[in-house]
Amino acid sequence: MEIRESRVSASAAGLTRRGLLHRATALGIGAPLLSGLAGAKLAAAQEGGEPVELTIWLNGEPGTVNAVTEIIEEYERQNSNVDVTVTFVGNSLFNPSLLPALNAGEGPDVWMGGSGPGQPAAIIEAGHAQDLTPYYCGLGWNEVIPETIVNYTSSDGKLWAVGDSVETTLMFYNKEVFAENDLAVPATWAELMTACDTLQEAGFAMPIGLGGADKWPISHWQSMLWGRYAGPAGVDEVMFGDGRWDAEPFVEATAKLQELNDAGCFGPNALAELQDDVVARFWRGEVPMVYTGPWIIGPAVQDLGEAIAKFGVFQAPPPVDGTPIYPTEDIGTGWYINADYEHPDVAAELLDFMLFRPESRAQLLESGEDVPVGELDLEAVELPTLLEEVFAATSQYRENGTIHAFLDTVTPAAMTDVTYDGLQALLAGQMSPEEFNAAVQAAWEAAKAENEQLQRGGVACSAG
Amino acid sequence: MAVPYSQGIEGAATAARGRRRVRRYLLQRWLTAYLFILPVVLLYVVFVLRPTLQTFWLAFYEWNGISVDRDWVGLANFRRLIDDSIFWQALRHSLAWTAVTVSFNLVVGLVAAALLSSNIRGRLLFRLGFFLPVVQASIVTAMIWRWIYAPTGVLNTGLDAIGLGFLAQGWLGSFTLALPALALASSWMTFGLSVVILLAGMQGIDPTLYDAARVDGAGRRRMFLDITIPSLRNTITIVILLALIDAFKVFDLIWATTQGGPVRATEVLGTYLFKEGFQKNQYGYGSAIAVALSLIILASSILNVTLRERADA
Repeated sequence: MEIRESRVSASAAGLTRRGLLHRATALGIGAPLLSGLAGAKLAAAQEGGEPVELTIWLNGEPGTVNAVTEIIEEYERQNSNVDVTVTFVGNSLFNPSLLPALNAGEGPDVWMGGSGPGQPAAIIEAGHAQDLTPYYCGLGWNEVIPETIVNYTSSDGKLWAVGDSVETTLMFYNKEVFAENDLAVPATWAELMTACDTLQEAGFAMPIGLGGADKWPISHWQSMLWGRYAGPAGVDEVMFGDGRWDAEPFVEATAKLQELNDAGCFGPNALAELQDDVVARFWRGEVPMVYTGPWIIGPAVQDLGEAIAKFGVFQAPPPVDGTPIYPTEDIGTGWYINADYEHPDVAAELLDFMLFRPESRAQLLESGEDVPVGELDLEAVELPTLLEEVFAATSQYRENGTIHAFLDTVTPAAMTDVTYDGLQALLAGQMSPEEFNAAVQAAWEAAKAENEQLQRGGVACSAG
Repeated sequence: MAVPYSQGIEGAATAARGRRRVRRYLLQRWLTAYLFILPVVLLYVVFVLRPTLQTFWLAFYEWNGISVDRDWVGLANFRRLIDDSIFWQALRHSLAWTAVTVSFNLVVGLVAAALLSSNIRGRLLFRLGFFLPVVQASIVTAMIWRWIYAPTGVLNTGLDAIGLGFLAQGWLGSFTLALPALALASSWMTFGLSVVILLAGMQGIDPTLYDAARVDGAGRRRMFLDITIPSLRNTITIVILLALIDAFKVFDLIWATTQGGPVRATEVLGTYLFKEGFQKNQYGYGSAIAVALSLIILASSILNVTLRERADA
């Protein structure tokens, strides 16, 4: 395998949430593994042993990229006729590189890309993505990928991308700092605000770390709070129905975010902070809490070793007392096969090997940055305790239903643009919650008028 | 004197042969010259001219960058540009950015070049120091300045250390300071080239002019203003042109630090173009912004040269 590396933009930091989340149905279950799937394979091909070349474009966090490349190397060892060239393209350069390449007929045979309603939809519409439905049904992927994920990677009854991982967000905190300040894990919003005050008094200028300069971390809060106030059904009503983002629950949620900021919980310079720096300071003990995803665990385990035990996670308490806690969940990335690739069976076989083989799934999980979709055998892998805590904190509330972790990735790009700027304006006090939600709604309506919003997908495999 | 007929014919034939030889010689020279520049012209046509023309052409379409269908919309993208408040905001920021960086390049560049042209100690070290940011990858520069301007970064820590902690703030999160702070960083990144060009210009000035001025009792300031600056007119024009173009097309430094934020406080034409074109997949509108940017650079360059020529006249 040949690995090429392109320049990784610094702004990739803005997209570093490639991460993990446990598919809740699996949590703590120690579920049966997927070895049975092997028997369900189609004749995924070695094309009679003839030499096959396959190019892959990857992006993502180092742990995932390393795990994926190792798996591909193993695949090549087992399939000596297949020569895979992996090119790593930095996140912020991925989209600008992919479109011209596909247009010029020079695109990769397989790529790991987004699955939102923006560019992926355009790529699918232009006929560049292979219909993966036969593999989805024939290779047994339909038994692994949850319907919620398939909904985001399919349209017109066809699967266009393999959603390989799920992601979540929750509050990370420093147990030692909490103990030193006699703080318990906040169970109510009022307790969270008290913790915030106490920590400020204890000299922590930024009780809850927020890299507001990167914009997307603010959207994590927005996604969680909007979901908490409106509930999964309320969000779905807007996403796929006639609901509005400027309805009362969403405005109240926005006000809650502003309130948190006005109370100084995000510190005096949240808009000047970069999320990477904030996370680094969190691990150093300078920031007591940070609302983020478990993708930060993998690199920290390597740096901190045993010291990572002093950190824990908890679900943000209900912003309104007595309302349920909905864990956040969203699809990470999707794997696509180029429609023009002359060996789609080989590409599908590689994806099957990489994403659905038990050993590969364990390898991806152990990378600390990727939680494969479907049931997981947690007994068979060695996971950092903190990651196990994430699984526990998520599964505890899964019964309540899940909400979006990243609304910014499942809404049209034009709306995301307005959201990002609006969230910064909101924190800077330049915009009221009502103005913010009205601006988002206006962008949403404009995108809907152009039919740019996400459509509910779904794929049905016929029996037999 | 009459020339015999045969001799006349012969003379005419000789002259014609001579003319042919001259023509052939000129043609050969012409061909040789064009053959030499042909590779460059071809590269220019393929990699500069064609994409530029294509961008102009795309500005008349609505296209998501990948679809087979492109909708001809005529001047609609340019009309949208005129009504787009963010475009005008980005343009204002680009102009402010240009004013800061061009001034810095020129003023600080001239002073630095003047100092380096004198016999100060460690001249080579200073030259190297000034030029180092020019050869450094812009992404590295961006990282350095991110680190400097971070709320817990070098600048604020330094201010704290010297008792000016009250001035410490989140520089890149400030709506008023983020743009000048980054413009300063960009100037630091580019002014080394200006220093080198100006220094080369200074070394080309006839030293007898200074000798004569010295005899006439002129001081260093007078010599700098009346000899150095006027002698550097052409060089200064080049420095301004280069800084101007560099300033208008700035993208990477801003993208790697603020991505145009907070809100739109550091949005310039380059970042706005990228967002509209590549993030929102509005290639037609992105191209219209690119066309506007190109025309602005062209107009400013022409204005700069024209003003300089008028001043000469």
